[in-house]
Amino acid sequence: MLELLLFAVPAGLVILGALIVIFAKNPVHNSMGLVLTLASLAIIYITLNATFVAMVQMLVYAGAVMTLFLFVIMMIGVDKPEQTREEIKGQTLLVSGTLFILIGLVSFIVVNSGFKWDLYFPAVEYSLEGTPDLIAASLFTEWVLPFEIISLLLIVATAAAIALAYDTKVRKPK
Amino acid sequence: MIEVSTDWYLTLAAILFSIGFLGMMIRKNALIMFMCIELMLNSVNLTFITASKHFGTIEGQISVFFVLVVAAAEVVVGLAIIVSIFKKQSSASVDLLRTSRG
Amino acid sequence: MENLLLVIIFLPLLTALGIKIISNLVNELLLNFLTINSALLSFATACGMFGLLLTDKFKPIHLELFTWIPSPEILFEFTLDGLSGIMMLLVTGLSVVIQIFSTSYMSKDENYSKYFIYFNVFVFSMLLLVMSGNFLVMFFGWELVGLSSYLLISFWSKKQSAAKAGNKAFILNRIGDFGFLVGLMLTLNTFGTFNYEKVFSEVLNGNRESLSIIVICFIIGAFGKSAQFPLFSWLPDAMEGPTPASALIHAATMVTAGVFMLVRISPILQFSETGKLIIITAGLLTALIAAFSAINQDDIKKVLAYSTISQLGFMFIAIGSGAYVAAIFHLVTHAFFKALLFLGAGAVIHEMHHEQNIHKMGNLKTKMPITAAMMGIGTLAISGIPPLAGFWSKDEILASTFANGGFYYGYWALSLLAAFMTAFYMGRHWLLIFHKETGNDISEVHEAPKAMVRPLIVLGIFSFFIGFINTPFFHGLEKVLEETLHYVDITHLPEGITLIILAVVSIGAGFTGLLLAYLIYIVDILAYFKVKIPLKEEIKELSSNTLYLNKFGEVIFVKGMKSFSRKTAVVVDGLLIDGLVNKISSLFYNSSQKVSKSQNGLVRSYVVYFGFFMLLLIGLFIATPWVSN
Repeated sequence: MLELLLFAVPAGLVILGALIVIFAKNPVHNSMGLVLTLASLAIIYITLNATFVAMVQMLVYAGAVMTLFLFVIMMIGVDKPEQTREEIKGQTLLVSGTLFILIGLVSFIVVNSGFKWDLYFPAVEYSLEGTPDLIAASLFTEWVLPFEIISLLLIVATAAAIALAYDTKVRKPK
Repeated sequence: MIEVSTDWYLTLAAILFSIGFLGMMIRKNALIMFMCIELMLNSVNLTFITASKHFGTIEGQISVFFVLVVAAAEVVVGLAIIVSIFKKQSSASVDLLRTSRG
Repeated sequence: MENLLLVIIFLPLLTALGIKIISNLVNELLLNFLTINSALLSFATACGMFGLLLTDKFKPIHLELFTWIPSPEILFEFTLDGLSGIMMLLVTGLSVVIQIFSTSYMSKDENYSKYFIYFNVFVFSMLLLVMSGNFLVMFFGWELVGLSSYLLISFWSKKQSAAKAGNKAFILNRIGDFGFLVGLMLTLNTFGTFNYEKVFSEVLNGNRESLSIIVICFIIGAFGKSAQFPLFSWLPDAMEGPTPASALIHAATMVTAGVFMLVRISPILQFSETGKLIIITAGLLTALIAAFSAINQDDIKKVLAYSTISQLGFMFIAIGSGAYVAAIFHLVTHAFFKALLFLGAGAVIHEMHHEQNIHKMGNLKTKMPITAAMMGIGTLAISGIPPLAGFWSKDEILASTFANGGFYYGYWALSLLAAFMTAFYMGRHWLLIFHKETGNDISEVHEAPKAMVRPLIVLGIFSFFIGFINTPFFHGLEKVLEETLHYVDITHLPEGITLIILAVVSIGAGFTGLLLAYLIYIVDILAYFKVKIPLKEEIKELSSNTLYLNKFGEVIFVKGMKSFSRKTAVVVDGLLIDGLVNKISSLFYNSSQKVSKSQNGLVRSYVVYFGFFMLLLIGLFIATPWVSN
């Protein structure tokens, strides 16, 4: 019972947040929806025994990335509401087509597998805790190369961001 | 007693992905399209964690790490681009970026 | 010893090459020396080889040069047996005589050396044809003979009519060659080889599938080469060429290639009743049409041309009734007296300063007695007056046709009619040129030079006596051909009183023809008795225009082909094919225009495309297990 609730509530929140993201008019509302999604996802991660990842998610994603988003929203100052009329020809048709196919596929699969959900989590013996030391043990030994590369990536990204947003006109000496 | 199984989590991830994708198709604002990308990335993260728990290895969670970092870097650069685009045209709509038309 | 065959065949070719090389360096005399000596050498060697053959009872001598095609095995080979021996002697011997004549006739011509080059090439190709050991070498010679004929007909190529005549000859020949080629292919397909002996032994052992078609194809080839109906209209036009060339090619050798070929394949031919019927009917038609057309011709050479066609028709009648020996016999005798007649005509033309209309001549016997006498011998020979050559051969043909019985009696009767007409128009020919007092100015005319007269005398003597090689008393030619035609069912002459009666009838036809010619054209008996032949002018017109067959051919085939090809070029090529290609290219262009509209540079469209097709792909993956079940 508890498990079910522990799944259902965050799952519902995730979906709610996602829907807010795509349907809201005000960009700030969108960001808030995204924050909701991220937070709920962190809770789900905890239920899946990935505690460290959940924390990192909260820190990095919900903390840093979303803040960045909000900064840009404020800077750009998007107050004009978006036009809802679709201007690209054939877009509506294609989108609805895609949706149709998606729903069709899903129902096809569901019907054909006989409404069975047969993928189960293994027994308790295999269960593991996503503790930092466990992650570190693998990350710094087996996956150290990708680790180094993504740190490089971060540096490059920072440099790129500065280069892109650098406004030469502002720096002209008066 | 209904047991919460792997299937459920995978379904959740799929739904999240679809919603993100739908959002990408519908919205015109660059920022919001970006947020939809974030949704999709998060759904992938969820799938990874689920797989990690299902197979009992730690690799899934490590992959999530990498996805996280890359997503962060991508957000940084992407937002910088959006800012510079916005400086040129005072609207954030991607429909106005039509220079590479065929 | 059989390598001497190479001397006979290739010497003319070498001579041609030699003349080509030294043509600018030497004068006519040296050239004459070269070419006549080489011709004499060929002839002497030929006589020697024939003698060898004679002593060996005409068992065939084979010579294999090299393996031309390894698989299926086709060799470049030659065969000398009775049949090819006779032809060989004929070609080389006539080559000597006619070349001697040509040195005088063609002298002072600006293309003197070219003439002899073409002449020697022709002799080479004819020898290749008759001495071939398999069908492929024969075809080689066949084609080359057609080529040489074309070169010689259009020799004075600056004349429009000569060039056109050459074209016509080659094209009509080609139609025949198409038949020959198809026959060749069928032969190879059915028997797997081109060698005569192998093919004949296969057929004699019972392998007779698709025999009729092969025979008919070869018959078509023979029609083209030997100017039978319907492929004969090139021969009268071929008179544009130099007269000695006409004498050799269109009297004695090339046109007889068809006859030779049919006798060569007689072991196969004898089994095809359809083939024999086609041959005899075509031969008869040709003989009659040509004889009819010759009655009212004005040109000295055209009469002889139609006469040749008519006599070829006789040879075909012989083949069709199964009298192969008679056909070859007539071939030989005809070669002599027709060459004689042509050379005589050449002498007349030369002396009349290239005037060729017989109505402008007359009473030439007073000025050119020897020529007149020789031409007279030729005329008597062709009319079938004994004991000259033509009587024996023509009578043998008529008698053999009669001997077949049944509906062949009709053929015999019509052949007799053709023989009568032959005598008539040849009599007219000779009388109008040499005898009739017309009052035309012939004071300048004198006898032809010695180099022209002597060959005439030689040919005259031969025309007189050559008939004796195959009389009912001495079957010389039959013995010669016995080995070759060993397995062929030959129609023999009737015996006893029938033969004598037939002989008398055909002599009578000949005499009547000559007499009638004399009466009508010299004594003018029609005016005397005030006899009005109905439709006289119309008949004359029909005759001069070959029953308008030429016009018919021109309208139907030439004009028809031209308009058909124009239509094809415009409609089929222009509209259909070009149109199709253009439509395809415009299809691509338009569709690419439309498709490129999907590249609108918008991210959202691309996202949608991506998602849409990705889903499609996933659906495909998922659905496949179900589909393949």
